[in-house]
Amino acid sequence: MKSKIKNAINNMNLHRTRFWIQLVVFVIFVYGGYFAIDLGSKLPVFACPYNSASAGACYLIPLQHQLSMPTRVLLGGAAISVIVGLLTFLAWFVFLNKAWCGYMCPIGTLQDWFTALRKRTGIRYSTYTRIQFEKLSKIKYIFLAIVLLFPLLMGVGLLGSQWSAAFCQMCPARIISPMLSGDFSQLTIDFSSKTAMVLTAIGIVFAGLFVIGSFVKKRFFCFFCPMSALHYIFSDLSVVQLKKNGSKCTRCGDCYAVCDMQVKDIADDVTSTNIIRDDCILCLKCVAACPEDGVLHFDILKLNAFSSTKEGFEKRMGMEKPYEGQR
Amino acid sequence: MSNNPNHKIETPNERQNRHKAMESIHVLNALREDFKSPIESMGYFYDLFERVYCKHEPLHEGKVKIGTMCIQIPSEIIYALDGVPVRLCNGFYTDDEIGGDLMPQKSCPLVRASIGHLSSKNLSDRPHMIYTPTTCDQKTKAGSTIESFGYDVIDVDFPRTKESEASREFFRRSIREFSMDLSSRMGKKLSKKNLKASISKIGYAQSLYHRLAGFRQNKIVPILGNDMFLVTNAFFFDRIDNWIEAVEKLIAELETRVKDEVHVAGKISPRIVYTGSPPIFPNYKIPLIIESSDALIVADETCSSNRMFNDRVAVDEWFINDMIDSLADKYLKACTCPIFTKNDDRIRRIVDLVKTYSADGVIYQAFAGCTVYELEQRSVLEAMEREGIPILYIESDYSPSQQGQLTTRVEAFVESLKNRRRMKKELQNLAKD
Repeated sequence: MKSKIKNAINNMNLHRTRFWIQLVVFVIFVYGGYFAIDLGSKLPVFACPYNSASAGACYLIPLQHQLSMPTRVLLGGAAISVIVGLLTFLAWFVFLNKAWCGYMCPIGTLQDWFTALRKRTGIRYSTYTRIQFEKLSKIKYIFLAIVLLFPLLMGVGLLGSQWSAAFCQMCPARIISPMLSGDFSQLTIDFSSKTAMVLTAIGIVFAGLFVIGSFVKKRFFCFFCPMSALHYIFSDLSVVQLKKNGSKCTRCGDCYAVCDMQVKDIADDVTSTNIIRDDCILCLKCVAACPEDGVLHFDILKLNAFSSTKEGFEKRMGMEKPYEGQR
Repeated sequence: MSNNPNHKIETPNERQNRHKAMESIHVLNALREDFKSPIESMGYFYDLFERVYCKHEPLHEGKVKIGTMCIQIPSEIIYALDGVPVRLCNGFYTDDEIGGDLMPQKSCPLVRASIGHLSSKNLSDRPHMIYTPTTCDQKTKAGSTIESFGYDVIDVDFPRTKESEASREFFRRSIREFSMDLSSRMGKKLSKKNLKASISKIGYAQSLYHRLAGFRQNKIVPILGNDMFLVTNAFFFDRIDNWIEAVEKLIAELETRVKDEVHVAGKISPRIVYTGSPPIFPNYKIPLIIESSDALIVADETCSSNRMFNDRVAVDEWFINDMIDSLADKYLKACTCPIFTKNDDRIRRIVDLVKTYSADGVIYQAFAGCTVYELEQRSVLEAMEREGIPILYIESDYSPSQQGQLTTRVEAFVESLKNRRRMKKELQNLAKD
């Protein structure tokens, strides 16, 4: 019985399973407000409260808010609220690790749908070259620095209040999320101050890039996401992990070929057992595309929950007997 | 002089065919008769080799045959364009002798035999064009020699490092050019549909190989290593649908043999992982010596068998260019050919095979003159020593001589493996007491 269930999971059609999970979670996060769902404001995904129907809020909002308090307050009693906030965020995060990106994030899901749309039109996706990849990959840390440092600078009085929630003003999720519930009011440039004007203009540009970018490049925005960078810092604490048994890996590169985020280590690193990298979104497509028994596996509490198998690979890639029927 | 008016002088080609038939039937008879509990469905393969190499029957009349010199030419693309891939790597001593006149004395017998065969133009399935990947020096240079015999030879650039991103890009482009070239020669377009269909078909053939290999992990092994070499060797030239059908039957028979606990070797026969220069029919010299010396080949790391089937293609979005890129990656990145600068992957593969197939030792054959395998011998031996895996290194060629000396060495190695096993058991028993 146990091995039967295990087999069924290892042979599953990951693409379909993931599609349905993403759809349900998307509806909850984006329209949950209509059903009076409130998941709080420490969510480790881009559930944007600028969308009035959102079921919760992205942790980066309270984080920026808390850090912008005057330094004396921040180092005093407010420190507790910062710590509580972080712990709440971690409490959510540890359950799914970066799978928050691959399965839960509505902005991530939206990009996958743009990808599906492109696939329908028969246009091939584009990729970064390795050199571009290495340079662009650092941008998310710059954004994370903006999230963390700008509010602190406000706190010491070096920046004015027009810098409040600076990242949010640039974030494409702020502009796009409300649109999903019919609110287009964020699609404007704020002329109240020079800073606001520049930041919101950047936001509009990012939103445009988001739409075009995710059409041509799989998970275009995730690559620059500061939340993803923040996740990576705490990734080891999570109860779910992506593991690799390098001794059996032939470095065939199948996992790399299907990786939306172009994580090269997944194929080339044969010494690390923990194979989650900062760009990883834990979508598990690599596990589904690995043709070796047990080289890649997804563990929950160190128990093997989903593992690469020859049989599962053959099923998913249409390499079983009735291959004539596939034509 | 004979006065018989029917007396005919044998032409060189007839002589070549006769000698090759003799070489072939010698090996086939050994496989048919010298081992205990023969497999019925192996009959297809014995007959196939007899038809092709003793009777010189063509298999692909009316088809466009695409000759390939190494495994790095994607057969998926050839099948998608309605061609038939025919791998030209050759194992005949007769052809080796012919090729000996065309190559330096200390060259690789495999390349010599391949060249000798092509120079005689005596092929039952003559290739219409030949693609040669630039793998080892000798294969690379062989291309121009073969061209001088009047064949249409096209080089396919193959990088010699595989770690770098540049080499990945390079080979992807190389395979794209190959498929465009072949497509224009065949007058057929590569489509999403035909390429996907052929990837699926080869993928299925590979999954059959994996199932066969699975039987060899058992404690009681239902199939000989030599038979396995013959099955995979048939994939070089057989009609793919026939091959698939025959292997399906073989798997069905092996399943019943597993139930009946039929073992092709003895209880204490050491289990061997075979690596190095590829045994190609009828040069099963070393494998036959091994399995006649009461050892059993349970796995191999050679380009005529495991390396041809082990690694598979995964595609995310089934567009033509994605499929071609994935194919290129499979043929480059997963390859453990010794021509690469570093080859940790090959060592890791051998160690993994030893563990997965619970082998007692490794036998490493290098053809005298196969420089890359000779060079890699050192690093592999060192690695095996580190891992505590016994290994025997043998240098050999295609000549029928040296049998006695080789047999003695292999037998001594097998005996030492048996002793090792006995000692282990005794130690275990002592520990129990």
